Amino acid sequence: MPGDLVLNVNGGASRVSVAPDTPLLYVLRNELKLRGPRLGCGRAQCGACAVLVDGKEARSCILPVSAIVSKRVVTIEGLPDVWVRQKGIERGSGQILHPVQQAWIDEQVPQCGYCQSGMMIAAVDLLARNPDPSVDEIRDAFTNTPPSPHLCRCGTYLAIIDAVRLAARRMRG
Amino acid sequence: MLTRRDFAKAAAGSLVVSLGTRAEGADVSREVDPSHLEAWLEIRADNSIVARTGRGETGTGMSAFYAQVVAEELSVRPEMVTLIMGDTDRTPDGGYSSGFLTGAANMRKVAAYAYRKLLELAAEHLDTQPVRLRAAEGVISGVNQRVTYGEIVRGRQLSLTIPLKGEPVRFAPAGKSGVTGLEWGGMDGLTVTGNPPVKPISEYKVVGKSFPMPGIPAKVTGATVWCCDLELPGMVHARMVRPASLGSTVVSVGAVDKARFPTAQVVRKGNLVAVVSPNEWEAVRAARDVAASTQWSRWSGLPGSDHLTQALRAHSWGQPAASKGDEGNVRNALAVAAHTISASYEQPFIKHAPIGPFVAVADVRANGTATVWSQIGHLQASRARLSRLLGVPPENVVVRWLDHAGQFGRKTFGGDGAEADAVILSQMLGRPVRVQWSMEEDFAWSSFSPCWFGDVKGGLDAAGRLTAVHCAFHSPHMFDARPLGAILAGASCGTVLPGGFLDTQWPYDKVEHRLQQVFAMDNIAWDSPYGGLRGNIMRTPGQRQQNFLLESLVNEAAAAAKADPIQFRLDHTTDPRLIGVIETVAKAANWEFRASPVKDARRNGNDPITGRGVSAIVRSNAYWVGLAEIAVTPSTGLIRVMKFIVGVECGKIINPRQLDRCIKGGIVMGVGEALKEEVTFDKAKVTSTDWSRYKILTMQETPEIQVVAISRDDQGFGTGGEAPNALPPPAIAAALFDATGVYPRRIPLTPEYVKGLLAASEII
Repeated sequence: MPGDLVLNVNGGASRVSVAPDTPLLYVLRNELKLRGPRLGCGRAQCGACAVLVDGKEARSCILPVSAIVSKRVVTIEGLPDVWVRQKGIERGSGQILHPVQQAWIDEQVPQCGYCQSGMMIAAVDLLARNPDPSVDEIRDAFTNTPPSPHLCRCGTYLAIIDAVRLAARRMRG
Repeated sequence: MLTRRDFAKAAAGSLVVSLGTRAEGADVSREVDPSHLEAWLEIRADNSIVARTGRGETGTGMSAFYAQVVAEELSVRPEMVTLIMGDTDRTPDGGYSSGFLTGAANMRKVAAYAYRKLLELAAEHLDTQPVRLRAAEGVISGVNQRVTYGEIVRGRQLSLTIPLKGEPVRFAPAGKSGVTGLEWGGMDGLTVTGNPPVKPISEYKVVGKSFPMPGIPAKVTGATVWCCDLELPGMVHARMVRPASLGSTVVSVGAVDKARFPTAQVVRKGNLVAVVSPNEWEAVRAARDVAASTQWSRWSGLPGSDHLTQALRAHSWGQPAASKGDEGNVRNALAVAAHTISASYEQPFIKHAPIGPFVAVADVRANGTATVWSQIGHLQASRARLSRLLGVPPENVVVRWLDHAGQFGRKTFGGDGAEADAVILSQMLGRPVRVQWSMEEDFAWSSFSPCWFGDVKGGLDAAGRLTAVHCAFHSPHMFDARPLGAILAGASCGTVLPGGFLDTQWPYDKVEHRLQQVFAMDNIAWDSPYGGLRGNIMRTPGQRQQNFLLESLVNEAAAAAKADPIQFRLDHTTDPRLIGVIETVAKAANWEFRASPVKDARRNGNDPITGRGVSAIVRSNAYWVGLAEIAVTPSTGLIRVMKFIVGVECGKIINPRQLDRCIKGGIVMGVGEALKEEVTFDKAKVTSTDWSRYKILTMQETPEIQVVAISRDDQGFGTGGEAPNALPPPAIAAALFDATGVYPRRIPLTPEYVKGLLAASEII
């Protein structure tokens, strides 16, 4: 039965009234109107729904919302704030992007773009663990990190590698 | 540069998009008049430009290209151009989203007409002659005079008639082709006629530069309104309950457990069964529950994918559906050839396999009007189909385009997809309905790129020159884009277009005698209730498969002639453009000229051995060559594509960076097709229904890709989005031969297949 849950999403507290077994993905999209994460497979096989939970990548399509209460959830909409807080940047009037997002624009990564929200989340996760990943380490991370490879049908993998390395350089400053 | 979605958001102010609904007023226009300039192009007082095309962005960067083409003719920066794509009520010309070249030709002419008109008006304004004026950056200037486009149009309509030919999509008279078909002629949309003076390619400042794809920033920040994001007031979420097999019909439909799912409801029309709820997760759970208690008839009319080859061979194919060449001459030439080659190749069914399953939203009103949001690749065709489904005139239906996962051709004919499901449910419920397919449903029930086999024969003379070629391609239907919802509901929604089309452009004109035949059959299990495995076109359709035959034959012939496969190609063509791109790529690759297989080729062992292979394709004024470098481990059969070098000459390159992206994506798709992709099914249903069973290329498996792109100002424009995915399969097959001396006759080259192939050939 639906009950009130308080979630910490993108740095703010949100109260939602949903069944506790509702996958986080549906709560983010339909209750909180955060459409960055998208439904791909619904079985944690593709990565399109990936979000950060306490800084680590998680597949929101299979994660019951009750499991993330008291944890910090970040979607791509919240990545700029993550970067602002991380670097102690003063927020001006201009739009600030996370270096991973900026690199995704600069390297023109998305084609259809459907999987790319999850790809950027995976990149942020990887760069938190490894600030200077080699090409092989990036390939390994996007392919062999459980629960599944991050899949892109448009074939943007090489652009993603370039963008991760560009973001890594900029984040190391 | 604004995208259409930015524009939509600015207008709607929120994610709950009101555009195209009755919120805009009852007299909202449902179509534009394409003979008026403003249907195509609006020049605004602030110098900004709105351009409209009936084509949609397919993810290959077309939105950047269209803006560049318009900006070039009008001599403005492309950032000044806002593009509106696809929507049937707001765009003029219809046509295929994949048809960039024809769509861009329309935009170029419209912009050229507009430019001429602007010069005339500027001349009036400045009291001078048009010939004395020049435009740059939206400013027309003469000697000590200047006026902006915005100043010219301020307070008036830029009235101009656009000359057109063609007709809108419409249905053919009933019974015309045995099935209710879409009128083929109307599918191309409208073409702008006349010959307004266009800017010579040599003077281009915008086309040829790497402008970014407009939609990317919004996709990266999460601001894009995707098709799956749309939310309308009063909308319900639907999940479909699909038949237990590809041919099962309803025996009894399960009921919703109202205690557990109080807001859910079953909706049924014929064999179309859905569960709807205002709460999406409740719809998902209730649909699972209803599916578990719904009874379907038993059916098992498929051959099973393990027996697909035998089933295809057993079919009585009859006469070719299409044929090119002289059969008698080819037979005679083969009979006197010094050496002949005979081979058969095959490929199972594969899928378009987008990351996001089908989704659509429909709002059908009691007054017989409907608005549908879709990721369709041919919006006017979808509109024609859906109006047919609803039994209303096309004027009553608006189809709007929103971003979604790349579809790679399956929506080209305005069909397949969730739109029919959504329209039927919305009509029955009298409220907006969002239909989201699941991954499993999409793999099992969307259309397929059909299986095929091909028999080839080649004749070589004593000097090792190819004198005769015979390619006989056999495949089930490739044009069945009927949407599943309409089929299951037993509703009329068009169309199976005639199958079996020949699609090769012959690059080797020095081969004197050649015969290309295409044999067609209906869908596999066509006689079953829903028409079986629905074949549909997929990126580089027809030619991708048929070119595999041709290029494999050329590779095998080169080996028989003990000739280098690149030299062999050069020796069999006089086409300077093909020769040019092949020579450029060979040089870039430091190609070592030698025959295949490599000297130390072997078929056993635990150590990998390397090989290389070549393929070429000519398509839509573009010349391509691909070189694959692989490593194969005989004991495991595992192939690793180390590097793929691709060369293209496609006339004037509009946007080098977007072309490069598009080519690389195509190569990745083609490598996956060569190595991994295969639909499996038993006698009743598709079994490869998730990503662990339908495997596509991963990042780790992606080769280094080197693109060699040649731009020329003297050959017009060629296509770049299609063809690259056709290069890897024949090149990788040839590379396996180079490494092992065994020519594979089937793709995908899975480890099991390759291991078995090498082991079997060792025994012989």
